[in-house]
Amino acid sequence: MAAAAPLLGIALAVALLLASRGLDNVSAPGQLGPAFWPRLVLAGLAVACLAKAVEAGRRPVRVSRPAAPLARGRLTAAIALIVLYVLVTPLLGFALATAAFIAVFLALCGTRAPLVLAVNAVAGTVALLYLFVKLVYLPLPKGEGSFELFTLALYRALGIF
Amino acid sequence: MGEIFGGLGLGFLNAFQPLNFLMIVTGLVIGIVAGALPGITMLNAIVLVLPFTYLMGIVPALLLMIGVYGGGVFGGSITGILFNIPGDPMNVPTTWEGYQLNRQGKTQYALGLAIMSSAFGGLVSALFLAFLAPPFAKIALGFSTVEFFAVVVFGLASVSVLGQHSMAAAFVSLFAGMVLGAVGTEAQYGVERFVFDVPFLKTGIDFVTVLIGLFAIGEVLDQIVGTAEPAAENPDTRAVPRLPLLDLWPLRWPLIRGTAVGIAVGGLAGAGATVSSFVSYGLEKQISKEPEMFGKGHAGGLVASESSVNGSTGGAMIHLLTLGIPGSAATAVMMGAFLIHGIQPGPLLFTKQPEQVYTIFAGMILANLLMIALGFLAALSFATLMKVPAPILNTFIVVFCFIGAFALRNDMADVWLTMLFGVAGFFMRRWDLPIPPLVMGVILGPMAEQYFLTSMVANQNDLTIFVTRPVSATILAIAVAMLVWPVLKRMRARRNA
Repeated sequence: MAAAAPLLGIALAVALLLASRGLDNVSAPGQLGPAFWPRLVLAGLAVACLAKAVEAGRRPVRVSRPAAPLARGRLTAAIALIVLYVLVTPLLGFALATAAFIAVFLALCGTRAPLVLAVNAVAGTVALLYLFVKLVYLPLPKGEGSFELFTLALYRALGIF
Repeated sequence: MGEIFGGLGLGFLNAFQPLNFLMIVTGLVIGIVAGALPGITMLNAIVLVLPFTYLMGIVPALLLMIGVYGGGVFGGSITGILFNIPGDPMNVPTTWEGYQLNRQGKTQYALGLAIMSSAFGGLVSALFLAFLAPPFAKIALGFSTVEFFAVVVFGLASVSVLGQHSMAAAFVSLFAGMVLGAVGTEAQYGVERFVFDVPFLKTGIDFVTVLIGLFAIGEVLDQIVGTAEPAAENPDTRAVPRLPLLDLWPLRWPLIRGTAVGIAVGGLAGAGATVSSFVSYGLEKQISKEPEMFGKGHAGGLVASESSVNGSTGGAMIHLLTLGIPGSAATAVMMGAFLIHGIQPGPLLFTKQPEQVYTIFAGMILANLLMIALGFLAALSFATLMKVPAPILNTFIVVFCFIGAFALRNDMADVWLTMLFGVAGFFMRRWDLPIPPLVMGVILGPMAEQYFLTSMVANQNDLTIFVTRPVSATILAIAVAMLVWPVLKRMRARRNA
């Protein structure tokens, strides 16, 4: 995969160069249009990728830290968990989603004690709500439907609203 | 000269008034904390305190903002050194070296160097501002976007020093970053570029999402998978950060060079702290006798970039106070504070309101001295977080990244982008694609485009303007030399082998 990366880069640069057609339609006569700079940069990207591909052909691609099979599983789980966290936050609201994420992510990182998981999830979320909602007035997602009602009730109970 | 000393004396008397002094301290604390939180930049903090200044007099208002400005440009270095999360783009070069020093068990040393070099850079630039602002401003007036473009190219050229194993890989990374920087609505014609009907891409990709994702999330994933290089046993984290006064002596030249670059880039080019930190770092590696140690915890690199960041603050203020032209976004907000209070910054300010001008100078000097103590306390507070077990720390770093990205525009799209760049950062580490050039490309690419196109419009598309103006030609020649020199060196080494 690492060896194929420069070729993917060249393909991407060419695709974006093609996508830049038509950008210059608005430019004033005799002036450099809005496509000039991106084309220059894309050409640079293509040349750099080509140089990297040639370099990779001459000497093997240096991958410094090969992943162990177990680590791959953890990596997939960690990425999936982060994606799930971002995905469900608008629905569940920041408070619920974050508390759940903290507990599960901590478990994934190797924390097993239920008390540690619970304390970090609850106290951590409450502290973040106070800091960012109460003090910084950041409108973190409240969730939808009944989850929004829950978040609002929680904010009132905590004295944030 | 006597007039300046007299003015400064009066300025210090004013700055030591309880309310004014309190404003400097408050501003520093707000600035350091805001700078340290990813997603909340120093600029955000200055904008946030602006409404509070409406009810104050102009002097306490400006001292508050100066405190936020000075503290904010330093604050991001603390989290950069401790957690590999630079609070602001300007703290990125400090993070490259500081975090490596931290991993080697030299946390105190790195934090101490950052505090002292920040304070030194800021102090010298404040003194420079007090004594040499008017003549310096005259020189700065002769500069145009042509010179600004040359300075940014110089910053981009320092990519040649960032490719540890492969120059080609560094350039792939740099151009990829510049492509990301070109996404969104173009400023000159209002044309959407590479948006593909995705609404949130219309406003472009905020570099903070790239910064947080690549550095913080990528690092967390690296640690979870267990492929991150193990940290050294770190006795430092138990103790308080030390102030390495004596340690600074062997680093005096990087310190002086970094400060000079900060003043020059901030004052002459008005390019701000971010450009000056990249330029200073790149220059330092070119000059260094051990360039191969950069990126592995080089104290000189840290000191040079950190002193240039704070060194640029005085330089940027020269533009504002003497010309009435804000040299950076932060000084533009400060100009707003001046105007709100009915004062027009510019040449007449020195004759009409000298007392206020010298109070500002004194406030800047005082703020940089106070920053040693407050920076020390802040570093101490953040350093205690190092005792938190890694699983807890990693989990909360992800949550902070979520909040930091969301805070940019209150939009979940920025959170998605951050997480996407986090995964990209993880794979870039594994494939040995250097991350710093990509970050440089995203930050400096749009600046380069803006200055280049403005220069072209102003000079009838005459490309020779970049080499016919002496300052621009000199800077560009040095930039080209920076790019060519490592290639020549490698070719010579290969021939000798």
